[in-house]
Amino acid sequence: MKAFRIIGLGLLGFVLPQLAAQEFMDRLDEALTITLGNDNIRARLSGLLDLEQYYFTPEAPGLIYSGGHSLFNPRLTLFLDAQIGPHIYLFAQSRLDRGFDPSDANLEVRPDEYALRVSPWDDGRFSGQAGRFASVVGNWNTRHWSWENPFVTAPLPYENPTAIYDSEAPESIRDFTQGVIESKYEYIPAIWGPSYATGASVSGRLGKFDYAAEVKNSSLSSRPETWDATADGIDHPTVSTRMGFRPNAMWNLGVSASEGVYLRPEARATLPVGRGIGDYHQYVLGQDLGFAWHHWQLWAEVYEIRFEVPRVGSADTMAYYLEAKYKFTPQLFGAVRWNQELFGSVPDGAGGRTAWGSDVWRTDFAVVYRFTAHAQIKLQYSLQEEYGQESKLGHLMAGQFSVRF
Amino acid sequence: MRFRHFLRIAGVILALAGAARAESVIEGHVVLPKTRTTPVVNKRYEIVTKGGVVAPSPPVAVVYLEGPFPKPTTTPVAQMVQKDLLFTPALLPVQTGTKVEFPNMDDTYHNIFSYSPAKRFDLGRYRPDEKPVPSQVFDVPGMVTLRCDIHEHMRGLILVLETPYFVTTDTDGRFRLTGLPPGRFKLKAWLSSKTTLELPVEVKVDATLQVNFP
Repeated sequence: MKAFRIIGLGLLGFVLPQLAAQEFMDRLDEALTITLGNDNIRARLSGLLDLEQYYFTPEAPGLIYSGGHSLFNPRLTLFLDAQIGPHIYLFAQSRLDRGFDPSDANLEVRPDEYALRVSPWDDGRFSGQAGRFASVVGNWNTRHWSWENPFVTAPLPYENPTAIYDSEAPESIRDFTQGVIESKYEYIPAIWGPSYATGASVSGRLGKFDYAAEVKNSSLSSRPETWDATADGIDHPTVSTRMGFRPNAMWNLGVSASEGVYLRPEARATLPVGRGIGDYHQYVLGQDLGFAWHHWQLWAEVYEIRFEVPRVGSADTMAYYLEAKYKFTPQLFGAVRWNQELFGSVPDGAGGRTAWGSDVWRTDFAVVYRFTAHAQIKLQYSLQEEYGQESKLGHLMAGQFSVRF
Repeated sequence: MRFRHFLRIAGVILALAGAARAESVIEGHVVLPKTRTTPVVNKRYEIVTKGGVVAPSPPVAVVYLEGPFPKPTTTPVAQMVQKDLLFTPALLPVQTGTKVEFPNMDDTYHNIFSYSPAKRFDLGRYRPDEKPVPSQVFDVPGMVTLRCDIHEHMRGLILVLETPYFVTTDTDGRFRLTGLPPGRFKLKAWLSSKTTLELPVEVKVDATLQVNFP
């Protein structure tokens, strides 16, 4: 832990003076771009270095996995973007970090995204893509990188663990409604991050409308270990779609829907007799909004989610957030985000109904300063309250230093 | 009668002076740097992928006459357009005090900004039909690097010069500076942020001077 901090501070000390030389970064950018075949093949290697420090009480919130009250989380992400002729585009992403979500585990290297896209027409009416890539659902996935996201953490719908356990079916309703009582990593959120699952998609624009649809190997709530095609196979594909409407450049509105199987193969042995994991689905309906005008940017997403839970029935939840960002000066901007997740009720086994999770709200505040076009620092404070059967307040302070190259 | 005669003489002198200026020319050639690396557009999370690839302008140089020239009495206006996700022109020389407009000719938002010491600004997100056209006055000499907060690959340069006598070379490096005042000056050729060549020149009335930068 200490070693990580020392390395982080060392990097910060080394990197900051370099950042003054913005031209150095621009030259590095040029050096990492190659063109071949009379400019018909172009490839660019780029990256993002994030050094994050979290402080939290009383425990690590969301998808942060740490037994203590603080966590240092370094992350190096490398991207490859390649254009082959005018109609073929390739991209890949690989990360060195302590887990897909911040954790106190050891450093590891993972290939997180790779995809091939073919766009036969120049007007954007149709593109087909195959590989492992972020879901088309909603609007946060398109801006989830630390450089674009004004916060250190994701919005609540993408990182609040629910009582859904994906590797084992609950033994009873009572077992299910106890909520998150074991290791937090055993549970899944309504949507897990950008959901880099494996599959294929089509997308395009027709006038003021745009469309996207994908077939992938795991549901939106499935954990990162299932995203690779070799993990749990492709026997139970998830189908997701988004229809967008842009009346002008200022507004971007969308509706999304998704249906897929969220239980993992190891849950089979715990299912009721005669049932398979394909009998239990996750259904997602989503509405999203994006607005931008001069120095203002606003986003909102609302998700209505249903899990079909063995021995329980339908477990519904609704999660949403509203986010605003404002640039005070060319280099300083601030953001505020209101998040909430509300849980429906399930039969309690005694003729009544009971909530299957604790409702939660969270307010995030962040301020970001950009030193150059390649380096920025971000500070975030979040206040969260679970207000189900008992009220529980949580605080998070997070800092993030990012270098983009 | 005498006054009318005086006016006639003054008119002839002014006309001659104007003609002399118009015919004082420096022309020549600058050896340009190699072609710039072609940028790769990041389209990872774009739902709509337009075909085609960006084709940036080939390298050019800015040739200018340095000397104690007066500032403009009115605000000159220049334009740097965003079209096909590129700045056009990619390199724009202006005199200090010039107002540069940034019309958006694409069907998407742009967000032009600069962190250069000579001019820090951020225009925010603005539409293709934005009125008035977003603009900035460049009143400090130096190099201003422009970027777009939405389209990472976009780069533009504004070279703010303390002279009204400048010209951008063509893509072969040829240039022609006209309407110059007579006198001894430094002729400079800006090739990049690291490379500015200079040569002493003497501009004579009604003469064309040949200058080549190696």
